[in-house]
Amino acid sequence: MIRLTDTETRILKNQPETGMGYQLVEGTQFDNKTKRGIAYNAELFFEENESRSVLKTLSYPQVLREATRSTGQFKSLRVLSRSEAPITLSERKAAVAKAAPAKEAPIEKTKENEVFKRFSAYKNDNRLQSDGSWSEGTYATTEEDAKNVKTGKDAVARYALANPEPAIYRFTGRPKKDTDIQRGIVEPAFNQPGGGVEVIFPNGTTANTVTGPEEIPAE
Amino acid sequence: MRIKLTQRWIDLLRKQPESGMGYQRVDVRFADGRHVDDAMVFNAEDLDVPDEFSKTEIEDVRLHAS
Repeated sequence: MIRLTDTETRILKNQPETGMGYQLVEGTQFDNKTKRGIAYNAELFFEENESRSVLKTLSYPQVLREATRSTGQFKSLRVLSRSEAPITLSERKAAVAKAAPAKEAPIEKTKENEVFKRFSAYKNDNRLQSDGSWSEGTYATTEEDAKNVKTGKDAVARYALANPEPAIYRFTGRPKKDTDIQRGIVEPAFNQPGGGVEVIFPNGTTANTVTGPEEIPAE
Repeated sequence: MRIKLTQRWIDLLRKQPESGMGYQRVDVRFADGRHVDDAMVFNAEDLDVPDEFSKTEIEDVRLHAS
């Protein structure tokens, strides 16, 4: 398994998902040989015949840490169409099963300097406490995933928000290292596709960790 | 329709976990004895309930046990 470079991640992020949280991809190496496999969250790549059982025994962030860092082995990456995809149905089901919502995920710890974003239709978002913390059980997303959201309506769709009003207020959270967190993928709901990364801070964040909001266009 | 909750309920809900980004599922009991289960509250302040409850005083709000 390989942790893709930021450049490779950017390439994949501009291509459609095969299912929620994963893409079946073909990478062309610099010697023009190709490798097919599955990429999770546009950042973790397994070759098609490589065992992915580690995903069942370790949490996703742990797997990411274990993965070999790519040295930029692909000169191009493309998402395969379903008809091209070599992955079996059972493997595809396993991939989908991995993309579970945050509330079902184990509690982990945040890393140093991780940044999170939260979208709200309310400027006075009530999850933000007067001491600049997020209260217990607050949902947010990763800074990386939030880059997919340009408008308040984008946020409603990507995070399957129950409130259909454009979530035009974007808050930024910088929790201290080792803050409790659960990570997952947003399920479709409220007639919205979901598919974004969601996190929950089950015990909230400490004081002075949240800033904002910044306002983004409604649509 | 959406009812604006009083500060008492806002203060209560804002300290409790969300059900998803920006909303909570709650069970509401009204002063006239009626109740609505699994209603939605946005931003801990806007309660979504049928129109018939618009002028009824709220007796209790609790997170819906899912």
